[in-house]
Order: sequence, then structure tokens, then C-alpha cells
Amino acid sequence: MTPDALTAASQSRQQLAAVAGLRWHVFVNSLRTFRGRVELASRIFISLAFLAGGIGGAIGWGGAAWFLILQGNVEWLGALLWPVFLFWQLFPLTATAFTQNAESSNLLRFPLSYRSYFLIRLAYGSLDPATAVAGLWLLGIDIGIGVARPSVFPWATIVLLTFAFVNIVLARMLFVWLERWLAQRRTREILGILFFLFILSFQLIGPLIAVYEHRSIPETRIMGQKVSAAQRPLPPGLAAAAIAGTIENRPGSSVVPFVLLASYGTAFLWLLNFRLHAEYGGASFSESAGRRTQPSGLPVLRPGWHLPGVPGPVVAVFEKELRYLSRSGPMLFTLIVPLFMLAIFRSSGKNEGLLARAPNLTFPLGAAYSLLLLTNLSYNNFGADGGGTQFFFASPVRFRQIVMGKNLAHATVFALEVLLVWMGTCLLYRPPSLSVTMATLAGILFVVPIDLAAGNLFSLYSPSRIEAGVFGRQRASLTTVLASFGVRGTLFAVGALMLWLSRAYENSWVELLVLWLPAGFAFTVYAFALNRVDEIALDHRENLISNLGRRE
Amino acid sequence: MDSPTISTENLTRRFGNLVAVEDVNLRVAPGQFFGFLGPNGAGKSTTIKMLTGLLAPTSGRIQILGLDLATHMVEVKRQIGVVPEGMALFGRLTGSEYLNFVGRMYGLDRDTAAKRTAELLAFMQLTDQPKALVTDYSHGMQKKLALAAAVIHGPKVLFLDEPFEGVDAIAAGTLKTMLQRMIARGATVFLTSHVLEIVERLCTHVGIIHRGRLVAQGSVEELRAGVGARAADLPFVPGSSGEKLTLEQIFLLTVGGSRSEGQELSWLG
Repeated sequence: MTPDALTAASQSRQQLAAVAGLRWHVFVNSLRTFRGRVELASRIFISLAFLAGGIGGAIGWGGAAWFLILQGNVEWLGALLWPVFLFWQLFPLTATAFTQNAESSNLLRFPLSYRSYFLIRLAYGSLDPATAVAGLWLLGIDIGIGVARPSVFPWATIVLLTFAFVNIVLARMLFVWLERWLAQRRTREILGILFFLFILSFQLIGPLIAVYEHRSIPETRIMGQKVSAAQRPLPPGLAAAAIAGTIENRPGSSVVPFVLLASYGTAFLWLLNFRLHAEYGGASFSESAGRRTQPSGLPVLRPGWHLPGVPGPVVAVFEKELRYLSRSGPMLFTLIVPLFMLAIFRSSGKNEGLLARAPNLTFPLGAAYSLLLLTNLSYNNFGADGGGTQFFFASPVRFRQIVMGKNLAHATVFALEVLLVWMGTCLLYRPPSLSVTMATLAGILFVVPIDLAAGNLFSLYSPSRIEAGVFGRQRASLTTVLASFGVRGTLFAVGALMLWLSRAYENSWVELLVLWLPAGFAFTVYAFALNRVDEIALDHRENLISNLGRRE
Repeated sequence: MDSPTISTENLTRRFGNLVAVEDVNLRVAPGQFFGFLGPNGAGKSTTIKMLTGLLAPTSGRIQILGLDLATHMVEVKRQIGVVPEGMALFGRLTGSEYLNFVGRMYGLDRDTAAKRTAELLAFMQLTDQPKALVTDYSHGMQKKLALAAAVIHGPKVLFLDEPFEGVDAIAAGTLKTMLQRMIARGATVFLTSHVLEIVERLCTHVGIIHRGRLVAQGSVEELRAGVGARAADLPFVPGSSGEKLTLEQIFLLTVGGSRSEGQELSWLG
């Protein structure tokens, strides 16, 4: 049968099947290599971890839904749906190590209908852990409702499916629009300003809580009602209201919120469609909007950076790394996530939550979280270089110097991040005590060198090409991600022990030894690993060049 | 013959059971413009990768400028320039930032790197979009930038893997001018290319690799003389009627010509 003989619908189906087949062949072929098999094992392990979280959450959420309905507190269903909603939307942004968007722009060279393109983009993006876990939670809630009120089960299923659809479409819509906004400097700056205004707005939460926390219970209840009223027109509130209306036998009260919920879905779908249609039509945004100027002889001389006492090649790599980072909107976005998380935790109230109860933990926890976010950078050093990695092998520079330049850049970024977290802690909570600050810094000096050393080795053993400028395509290999969690788990445990010991023995000499001796040990480990880098890089050059040079 | 700039002894590279390059013995003299030819998959890129330290040989020896590559890798790399397959550019730098970076990696001081960057950008006519990222350059611009990066430190030997692939006539002219200037200054150029007309015009010496083996090596005249006798027996070769053989004809005679002649595709008629 020739292509002409195919109807549009069957051709579309055939294309979707071909893309699914392509992904399957890519997967099967990846198993030919040892690395591919290790990657599969990591994927299975991580999937099991997410499955456990999903099933555990589903049981908890289901039990809560069942209990709330039996107790007659159906208005509290929203309190169950909000965490699901926030997890679904925030997890892909805050845990980019587990989130990956497949490269689908290559598909545009085929005679793909827009409908097929749209479906492929939607399907690819939807197959992520957030959807799977949150989907299980919704299933738990649905079953909980069904057990408590079997007659409501069909309607609750329809509403929760619609809620799931809204979440999927919203997450995809946010991704494609963020990608578009972060692709150009001007929109990125506007987004940055909006983000900082958003962070600053959290400053209002403290005074607001201070105003209400000493008020009487009726006043607090009034405030609670206001919050409840404010969340009602939003998707979780609407889904909860649609179910609650049916449970309370008020059909009118359930249809209107359901229609509004579906309207949200339609609006998000329209916005997603708007952007994808532009991409389908060839719209592409990049940093290069530099103005064309006439050639004017020799260009202006701009010498590279200079760091006193640091060898030229190390500075050159350092400069290159920071330039790359500054041009990668998605990576910059990832780096401000710790502040975002501090603000989110702050919004839970002055006297609630772990950080509010133990404010001294805020700074060390924030610093630890910042380190986790550097996984894609420090455990996949060469990922963003892609084919450029060949140059490192062709150049007369020892790999240890290249790696040192990269480590220096990542350590600088991390130091800046820690400084921001410290400032955020001071602004949103309270300044950490001097001893906590010193202990955290000592912990950092212990953790970071070993972490960088481990990252260097994994970068050479298990490289993975990433697209620095595209949202959701900055992920290291899952094996690396998993290994990084193991390394960091151990390091954080030792760091916590150091903190505890320094607090338990209030002798300044003991404290000094406990805090700073491990740091000395860590630097020795780093130096030892660095000395091995040249040999390992040469042994793995083919793997590095072929893995990083190819586009998938 | 002077002590060769590039020499290999029984250079071999295997990928599992596949022998990509087998017992290759190359000799490239100082100041030669050497064209390394071969059909697709013959082993050209594998050879150039081994010569530039991007790939380890399975066996055999490589000497560049009299230095053993295995034991003097950094010293050799300091004196050679490379435009590898795929160009090895850093897409998210501007052209000027990239050249500055490369210059400093080759040990140039900041001011010298900046000065040469400016000169190279002007020579390669890459100055009209100073803020554009390399990733947004056209293919030809990227090729020019890759060549500029390969020469910024003034190498004695230049290895170029398909430098003219996808390059327009204007850019190709610029590249050729630069390469001829380097030869005039005593440098050695080793290039692979599928564009045989360009190789014939530029190269003084040629090596032909076929199925991993070096099947011919020498000046174009030497190769012509080598296949001349066979050409006389073939009716389609103009050499049989006293005309001079082109490099393309020498190449086809050496590697056995097209294997798909006479075959047809069922749906194209």
C-alpha cells in the first residue's frame, strides 16, 4: 500500500505506532551494552521506589478520603487534592533529575499531521514519575470515596479523571511555555524579576500570620473560610466541590464546579496547543537574536578572564562553564528552586512544619538540597559539552585541569547558592546561630570535595548528553542519579553525625577536630581522585566521545 | 625523503570483530598537503582519530613530528591542530568566546588569544554577528570557526576531517586560502575529503584507504603512473585514449568503482 492510499487517520495511527516502535527499538538496542543494562536496573529500582511512594500515598489518601466522608467533613476534600495538585506541578520542576522530555523536534521533518505531533508531545511528557505517583494517589482517593459512598463512585471517577487531565495538560503547558520564555534573555530576565517579586511576597506571610495567630478561634475560623473561598475557584477546589456537591445531594453544586474544572482543562489545552502549533509551524527561539551589524574590520579585543594563581586552561574552562550556565535558562531556573522551597515551607506557617519547629535546621537542609540540585551538573560534567568533548581530547591540556576548571565553576555556583540559602534563611526564618553556620560550612567542606570527586568519576564512566537550553532535557543517566543519591546519603549521614558530635561535646577543641578534620580528609580524597582522572579519561575516551557526540 | 612529519607502523584498530583499520603504514613528509581518500566506511575517520589521539589504536605505532604519540601525547597535541568529524564546537559560546577559550587551552596568554581571535574572526568573515551563539551559526560558518580554532595556536601539522563538507563556494575559498598559506609557511596538512576535485587541486600527495587497508600512497603523478597500465585496458577511462587521468578516475580504479551499476530501484524505474 502506498502512502497515497492511506487515509489521514490511518496514516496518523501508523505514524504514532512508528514512533512507539522507535522508542521500543531504542530501548531494546540500549540493552546491548553493559551501560544500558545497568541503566535499566537503575530505572527498575527507581520505578519501584516511586511505585512504593505512589501506593503508600494512595492508601493514605484513600483512607483520609474515606474518613472525611464518614465524618461528614466533605468540604475538606480540597485539602487532599491540593497536595496532589502541587506535587504534580512542582515535582517535575524541583526534581529535574527524574524528569526528561524526549527530543520531538526531529519529528517535524516527517509528514506528521499536527494532531499526531500534538499527541506525541502530550504523551511523551505525560509519562513521568509525577503523573504516575499522583495518578495512584487520585486512584486511592477515588477508591476511598467509593468505599465510603459507593453511589458517588462513578461521578467521583469522572471528576478525578478530569482533574488528572487538567494536571497533565497544565504541566505540559507550563513546560513548553517556560521553555519558550527561558530561551531568550529578555523574557528570562522578566521571569527572573517576577520570581523574585514572588519570593518577596512571602515576606507578607509572616506579618499576616502574626496578625491572626493571636486572634480568637472565631476570627481564625473566618480567616480559614476566606482561604477556603479563595481556593475554591482553582482546580483542586473545583474538583473537591464537584464531588462534595454529589455527596451532599446538591446536583447543581456539583455540575457548575465540574464545568469550570473542565473549562480550566480546555483553557490549558488551548494554551498548550497555541505554543505547540507555533513550534509545528517552525517557530524556534534561541539566544542568538543578536543584531546584525556590518563587518567593521577587526572586532573588539576581549581577553578572557583572569584568576590570580590559577593556570590559564583551568580559568578558560571555568569561564566557559559559567558562560554556559548563564545561557541555560532551565539550569538557572533549577538553581533558584532552593529559595522557592524555603518560601513554600515558610508559607506553611510560623509555628508549623519541621523548619519552623527547628529553625536551626533550615540552613543545613537548604544547603544539602542545593547540592542535590547540582546533580545534573556535577555528576555529568561533560553532558552539556556534547560533541565539544572531542576538543578536550584533542587539546594539549591534561584532563585533570579540565575537570578542575569545571569543579571550580560548580563549586562557585554552589557557594553562591549556599549564600542565597543563608540569606533566604535569615529573611524567611531567622539568622542561623554562629555555631550552626560554622558547622554547616565545615560539613560543606567535607561533603563537597568528596561529592565532586565522585561526580568526576561518574561523569567519565557514565556520560549522558544533555541539552542545556531545553527544559526537561538536562538529566544525567539514571544510574548516575541513583549512585549520586547513594554517595550523598552516606555523606549527609556523616555530616549529620559531625553536627551531632559538635553539639554533644561542648569543648571547642573537640568541635574543631570533629568539624575540620573530615574536611582535610575530604580534600585528600579529592586530590587522589583527581590524579586518576587523566588515566580514566583516556581509557574511556571512545565511550565519552560517542555517547556525548550523538543526538538521540 | 626528510624525516616524516606523520608516520605510522602497522596501525590497526579493531571494534570487536570488525577490523576498521589494518596494518596501515603512512608516511607524510614535512610541508606536504596530503589528501587521505577512501569510500564510506573505509577507515578514514578512524585513522584520523587515532592520529590525533582521539582513539587508541589496537596495535601499531604513530609518530608525529618525530614524537611517539602514545608516550608524548600532550607534546604532540600542542603542535597539531584538529578539525575532527563533527567539529567539536561548544555551541553555547559566541564565536569570539570560543576562539578565546581554545587559544587559552593551547597555552596562549590572554592578550595573544584575544588578538588572534580578532584577526581570525575578521579573516574568516565571522564578524557580522558578534553576539550570535555558535549553535546558531550556519554550517559553513561553523566549519570556518572550527578551522580558525584549529590554527589559533599556529600548529605545525593540521588534521582536517572533511573540511569542505557542506561548505559553499565562498567559504570553501576562504578555507583553501588559509590552508595554502599554512603550507607556504612550512606546515603540513592532512585532510580527508569526498570532494575529489578539491583534493586534486590542493593536495600534492594522496593516500587511498579501502576496507581498512592503505592501497595506494604517493604523489598524484605516482598514483597516476601506478594505475595507468590498468586504465589503458578499460574502455570508459579517458586515459586509454591518451588523456590525463583525473584523481576521481585514479580513485575509482584503485578501489574498484561503483558496485551498484546496472541495478535499479523497483519503484523509481
